Amino acid sequence: MASALTDPVLLFFVAALLGSSFLFANGRAKDGAEGTLRMLDGSLAFTITGILASGWTWVIYNDMIRNPLGGEFCATEGLVQCGSVIGDPRYNNLFGMSWGSLGLAAFAALFFLILCLRMDMHAKWVSKYVDYAWWMGLAGVPFLFLLIGIEVIVVKHICPFCTIAHLALIGYLVTVWMLRERRENSAWH
Amino acid sequence: MAGLITAGVISIVLVASMFIAPPANVGPEEGSLAPDFIASAYTGGEWEEVRLSEIYDGRLVYINFLDTDCPYCWEEGVELSNMHQAFSEDVIFINVMVSLEITGHDSSREEVQAFRDKTPFGDNDNNGDGCYSGRKDCAERPGEAHTWMYVDDLTNSIAGDWELPGTPFSVILDGGGTVVWNQAQSDNHPPGEEVGNALARLLGGE
Repeated sequence: MASALTDPVLLFFVAALLGSSFLFANGRAKDGAEGTLRMLDGSLAFTITGILASGWTWVIYNDMIRNPLGGEFCATEGLVQCGSVIGDPRYNNLFGMSWGSLGLAAFAALFFLILCLRMDMHAKWVSKYVDYAWWMGLAGVPFLFLLIGIEVIVVKHICPFCTIAHLALIGYLVTVWMLRERRENSAWH
Repeated sequence: MAGLITAGVISIVLVASMFIAPPANVGPEEGSLAPDFIASAYTGGEWEEVRLSEIYDGRLVYINFLDTDCPYCWEEGVELSNMHQAFSEDVIFINVMVSLEITGHDSSREEVQAFRDKTPFGDNDNNGDGCYSGRKDCAERPGEAHTWMYVDDLTNSIAGDWELPGTPFSVILDGGGTVVWNQAQSDNHPPGEEVGNALARLLGGE
C-alpha cells in the first residue's frame, strides 16, 4: 500500500476530493445565493473528480486488458494494486462495458445537471433539476454497493482509484441532499 | 620468444573482441534470443530439472504461459489440446505455469499437475480449493488431458525475465531459440493472427 500512497495520480485525486469537500463546506457556511453557488461548485467538483477517476480506471482497464493482446487474459498486477480488481475478467465489466466507462458516462450526466443549475440557479426548472440530480445520483448507489462488495468479499482487494470514484459519488450525494434541504427551507436564494 | 609474442597478441585480440563484440540480444521481443531458464518440469512422472536451451532440436518451440486460477487459461485448455493434435509433430509444446499476484491465484505444483492431467483437485465450491480461482475441480478443465511439458514458475521468476503481461500468453521460438512470434507484438503479425495461425504460417502451411 505504501507504493499506492506515493502515486502522484492517486494523490491528485485525494486532493480533488478534499478540494471538493472544502468548496462545499465553504458554501454551506454562507447564506443565500452565494452560499448555494459555492455548494453547487462543490457538487460540480465532486462530479469532475468522479469523471477523472472513472476515466483513469478506464485507462487502466484498456492498458491491462485491451492492449496489445486483444482482450481475454488475466493481467499481472499492474498500476497501484488495481490489477486484482480491474484485471479480473469476471468482474471488471458489465455486459462487456468496463466499469470505468460506465462511471464516466454516469458522472458526465450528473455533471451536466449540476452545471445547468450552476449556470442558471434562478431558473424555473431549478427545483425539478435538483430532484433529477438527486435521483440520478441515487441510482448509482446499488452499483456502488455491488462493486464494493465484489472488491471486499470476492476478490478481497481494494483498487484505490475505484474507491476515489465511489467517494466522489458519496460526496456528490451529500452535496445534492444538502442542496435539496436548502431548497426545502427556502434558503436557495 | 616469437611464440610468446604470438600468444600474447592472440590473447589481446581475443580479450579486445570480447569487449568490442555487440552483446547478444536476449529478450522476449521478436528477433531476440529467448531468455534461457533452468526450472523444474513435469511431464507426467516426477518433477525434473530442465534447461530451455537444451530442449531446442530444430523444431519450433511454442511456449504458453498459464495460471491455473485464470479463467481464460481454463478455457485455453481446449485450444491447446487442438493445437497439440495439429502440430505436435513439428512443434515442441511447453507450458510455463505462473501464479499471478492476484488474490485467489495461489497455485501449487499439485494444482498444476491436476490442471495438466485433468485429475481431481479441489471442488466446485467457492472455497479457494482447486483451479479457476479456487472455484472449480481441476478435473473438469475443458479439453483433453495434456501430455506435454509443464514448467514450474510459481515464483514468477521466468515470467519476470519474459516480461509477462498476463495469462494466457504465447511466444513461439524457432529451432535455435530465437523469438519469432510474440503475442504482445501484434503489429508485426498479419491482422488478427492467432497463435494457431502463426504456427501454421511459420511451418509453411499458410
